[in-house]
Amino acid sequence: MSGPEIASGVQALLGGVRSAASPFRTYLKDLHRRFANDSEGRVADYIPELAKAKPEWFGISVATVNGLTFEVGDAQTDFTIQSVSKPFVFGLALEDNGRDHTLSRVGVEPTGDAFNSIIKLDTKSGRPQNPMVNAGAISTAGLVKGAHLTERFNRLGGMLSRYAGRSLPVDMAVYTSERSTGHRNRALAHLMLNFGMIDPNVDETLDLYFQQCSVLINARDLAMMGATLANGGVNPLTKEQAIAPEYVQDVLSVMYSCGMYDYTGEWSYRVGLPAKSGVGGGVVAVVPRVMAIAVFSPLLDERGNSVRALKVCEAISKDLGLHLLAHSPNRRRLTELLPGIVD
Amino acid sequence: MGKVISIHSFRGGTGKSNLTANLSATLAARGYRVGVFDTDVASPGIHVLFGINDVPASASLNAYFWGNCSIQDAAVDVMPALEGAGVPVSASGALYLVPASIETGEIARILHDGYDVGLLNDGILGLMDHYDLDFVFVDTHPGVNEETLLSIAISEVTIIILRPDQQDLQGTAVTIELARQLECKNLQLIVNKAHRNADHAVMKASVEQKLGAPVIEVIALSDDMVQFGSGGVYCMRFPDHDYSQAVGRVADCLVAAGTASQLSDRRVS
Repeated sequence: MSGPEIASGVQALLGGVRSAASPFRTYLKDLHRRFANDSEGRVADYIPELAKAKPEWFGISVATVNGLTFEVGDAQTDFTIQSVSKPFVFGLALEDNGRDHTLSRVGVEPTGDAFNSIIKLDTKSGRPQNPMVNAGAISTAGLVKGAHLTERFNRLGGMLSRYAGRSLPVDMAVYTSERSTGHRNRALAHLMLNFGMIDPNVDETLDLYFQQCSVLINARDLAMMGATLANGGVNPLTKEQAIAPEYVQDVLSVMYSCGMYDYTGEWSYRVGLPAKSGVGGGVVAVVPRVMAIAVFSPLLDERGNSVRALKVCEAISKDLGLHLLAHSPNRRRLTELLPGIVD
Repeated sequence: MGKVISIHSFRGGTGKSNLTANLSATLAARGYRVGVFDTDVASPGIHVLFGINDVPASASLNAYFWGNCSIQDAAVDVMPALEGAGVPVSASGALYLVPASIETGEIARILHDGYDVGLLNDGILGLMDHYDLDFVFVDTHPGVNEETLLSIAISEVTIIILRPDQQDLQGTAVTIELARQLECKNLQLIVNKAHRNADHAVMKASVEQKLGAPVIEVIALSDDMVQFGSGGVYCMRFPDHDYSQAVGRVADCLVAAGTASQLSDRRVS
């Protein structure tokens, strides 16, 4: 082992010990206990593979910008990233094409419609509303550069892996399942092609999109991905740059305005953090310059958001005064529970 | 809220378990409520000093880690072992030991599977809360590992025991460096098994200078202790012995720690 490797090994050991000894860990355990028996919502079943998720799965993970990680419950249970991939791919599209070209292909305006809505896609709009609805996400995937599908996916998968700090696999069963049943997404893509909104290699882009949604992560990965955004695009543990710092604000902005499907307005009002949700049951909420909270629980509400995740994030935001627009006295709790984390 | 005292040594055979047992017994006899955790899961042994020969697998630190019992169920009341040994024992004192399993299969399992070190934190604080303890001692496995570092991170006082030996000195420097990185509040050294003819004051100054940490006691190697062979808690039988007197002075320091500056007076400037 080299000097830096040994040093990072020591830091990982000390980090694990600091987390284990931290009062914040106890706080998260209590929170997990509080919502573990809450069985509201239902598991997604629009593709058979997702219906295999167990309703009792429930994990919380938090990663801070100074490299502490916390996890409670099923934080190492794998699930597919699904829509949570969308903001990260938007970041890659921005890096590949710059702001002007990217924004000519996808807007940043919330729709208030369901994620798979087809309504606002017409000739007048000229581009899908935002990168968080399916139409916009397919258009965004179309902007990822590469000579062929394999190269494009390797770049996309490599980007997600840099955020997570480990190589993330694809769930082949979910991917083939998505591909064979994704008629609505195919329809969206072909409609956009008809309007001249996306490039003609529609089938390749759809394949890329289905692969992107089938990347396997766990709550610990997701917290680290969010913490990387909170940390200006640099993974707090590996120190790798996952996204150019100038585009972090673009990604967080669309998460804040469009990240939680057609619940985003209420989410931003109640929780006040940029976040993204996926039908795999994962939600990540980012506290810029501080940390990210990831919750995994496959019980979803009718909008496609994990019910326990909404409750956990709302509780943490209130308890620690994390709402970005709030001037909350509870912010003191954050520094009590995580000394040295002052932002 | 009670104080967590972690007791370490970088190498084995420094007298760590004996000192932990004697310190905890001294404080319990004075009327304090005390807990002892044997986190040396690889080579448990402190239970023997308290007269326990058999640690049931169903009620041990191991069983607690596997979720098979609560931490209070894993704790044994060892106060009766102190009574009748010779030293008067205060009625208000209490002494609970959480032993580690001595079964081969259990030792193999915990070494192979490891455990969530966060549970140790919960267990220490949980037992302290349950029995309203004034002190919890954590006896650790020699060297540096997760439970060593965890106990340093949550301790009011960290005591590192070393012999006046070059290998011990070098290793102790490693532990001190890691303890500093964990913002260890109060780190104290005890030099044990010193030669009885050595100048203890010179030895103290030399170790303090080399390691940059205060030495609270230099304890001579005692033939009597060797002969006693961990046959019980020594200072309960021989309270007037030099060893017992030294343990008493360390106990005074622990009582004062965090409340007065008795320890800081002894710090190297």
